Amino acid sequence: MNLNMNSVESLVAQIQGLSGNIGELTQLRNYLKQCDDLLRTESTRLAPLLTELDPSVHSLGYLYILEACTSATVSKDQANELVLSVARFINVCAADQIRLAPEKFISICKRLKEQVVLLEDPMRGVAPLLTSIRKLQSSTEQLTTLHPDFLLLCLMSKCYKTGLSVLEDDVFEVDQPRDLFLYCYYGGMICIGQKKFRKALELLHNVVTAPMPIISAIAVEAFKKYILVSLIHLGQFATSFPKYTSSAAQRNLKNFSQSYLDLVNSYSTGKVSDVENYVQNNKDKFESDNNLGLVKQVVSSMYKRNIQRLTQTYLTLSLQDIANTVQLNSAKEAEMHVLQMIQEGDIYATINQKDGMVRFLEDPEQYKTCEMIERLDFSIQRIMMLSKKVTTMNEVMSCDPSYLGKVGRERQRFDYDDFDTVPSKFNL
Amino acid sequence: MDFSALNEALAFKSYDKVADICDTLMFQAASEGVSYQEDWPYAIHLIGHIYVNDINSARFLWKKIPLAVKESQPEVSAAWKIGQRLWIKDYASVHEAIREFIWSPQCQGIMAAFSEMYTKKMFELLQSAYSTISIQDTALFLGMSEEDATNYVVQHGWTVDPASRMLTVKKQAVVTEQKLDHSKLQRLTEYVFHLEH
Repeated sequence: MNLNMNSVESLVAQIQGLSGNIGELTQLRNYLKQCDDLLRTESTRLAPLLTELDPSVHSLGYLYILEACTSATVSKDQANELVLSVARFINVCAADQIRLAPEKFISICKRLKEQVVLLEDPMRGVAPLLTSIRKLQSSTEQLTTLHPDFLLLCLMSKCYKTGLSVLEDDVFEVDQPRDLFLYCYYGGMICIGQKKFRKALELLHNVVTAPMPIISAIAVEAFKKYILVSLIHLGQFATSFPKYTSSAAQRNLKNFSQSYLDLVNSYSTGKVSDVENYVQNNKDKFESDNNLGLVKQVVSSMYKRNIQRLTQTYLTLSLQDIANTVQLNSAKEAEMHVLQMIQEGDIYATINQKDGMVRFLEDPEQYKTCEMIERLDFSIQRIMMLSKKVTTMNEVMSCDPSYLGKVGRERQRFDYDDFDTVPSKFNL
Repeated sequence: MDFSALNEALAFKSYDKVADICDTLMFQAASEGVSYQEDWPYAIHLIGHIYVNDINSARFLWKKIPLAVKESQPEVSAAWKIGQRLWIKDYASVHEAIREFIWSPQCQGIMAAFSEMYTKKMFELLQSAYSTISIQDTALFLGMSEEDATNYVVQHGWTVDPASRMLTVKKQAVVTEQKLDHSKLQRLTEYVFHLEH
């Protein structure tokens, strides 16, 4: 059957007539689903139909036709046109309508991303993808498959700050594991770029410790960056994995990152010159991993770490002694390092230029200001919310037939007393 | 391009909004496929990031600026010079970078505001980090002549030792709000109750 003039007209009429309320829209969606094959075969003739529709009013119908129009391969000139039309649609479409056909919406967004990359102008896709994430999400807790694409475009176009806007949301719902892996990996890189190392560490940690049946390239690269960020931010790296780490990760990750683990060993000696030599000798390796910049930050963080260590031993110390101990060239250089660290709140100290001495102080925070109470309050509320979520998830899982079936089977092999994973309130 | 939001922010001295406004406009132009690079207000955009102390974003923006623009617009390079000095934490030479360029009328207002803010920030840093400091260093950090710098800090209660040309810093007592209102205590009580039951 061909999509002749008649059915083209009726298609437009259907879309125009059935874009009012949710009942009509569901009906329209079912109708469009049936037309999907036709739309696909006739894709080249559909473009004129779009002019008869209003993308903000007839979003669902517009989406189906736009998706069909843009699915064919395009030349470079056409690519520009395609990007423009998709970006315009994303801007004006009605969120509740496009959520009725998420797979179609995702498809045009992925197409947009692919084309701006081919056009070598990734920044063109940043704003449209951010808008599309917000329109597709039912809540900010949901991770969409567009998140990683958005973050990748931010990285490629060096718009790191914009990437941070989605990373502030706490994620609780994930559809595909791969989305989460990429989201955390790219997110980690964005935070590294903005020097938000605490958040970067958290995201990379999520990749390394997430459940995985087999090890992936994403996990390996995330692990390497995790080691480096851990050295920069914490001044150390714990080589043992947390026990919830998958066995695939525990068994394999270290084999792929030996040079990084050697760097950890060298770092833990506290000798800047040793670490510098090691980095120099393994420069090619770090460079080919695109981690050389981060490795250099590891080296310069050593001065800070070594000075911090001095504060644990001494109450006062001369600038010259600091310079000698941490291998800096002069007392003046040591003074500048200490000044920077005071500014960033890494240490509490006062410099006495007259005597050339530094006096190390205790953290003045007494945990009784209003501001501190606010912070405590906020943290407690977040934790309470999280705890409620975990309880709910636990309950849902305890009722899941396949889970109960598996646990029930395993039970027979064990003694009831030493193997009781099903919460006692769900007696079988 | 419609720069009215930017011009308005500049006119009302809402300098902390400049970076965000420029970012949004740039994304909008990019997604509409408009070629904006040639007459983009890069200098203002850079200074906007620097003003809110987001040197990372200033650096990434600098990397995005086409070479031709960097070469043809000295103000853009001059703005980045400030960012660069902040990036390497060469505190004193920031003042020099601000002073050595004659800023266009559009940039003058925000630059003056930044300069003033930066001086204040440097003063606060010195006050928190030093117990004694030489007049010479103080002048460098504050970007003033030694005489002006001495007058500036003496007004804040510092004392001068003319023999050693050293200044003794007077620490500012930090006043923080410590009084709790009842609602906060009430809430904490509720938490403890929640945990125990």
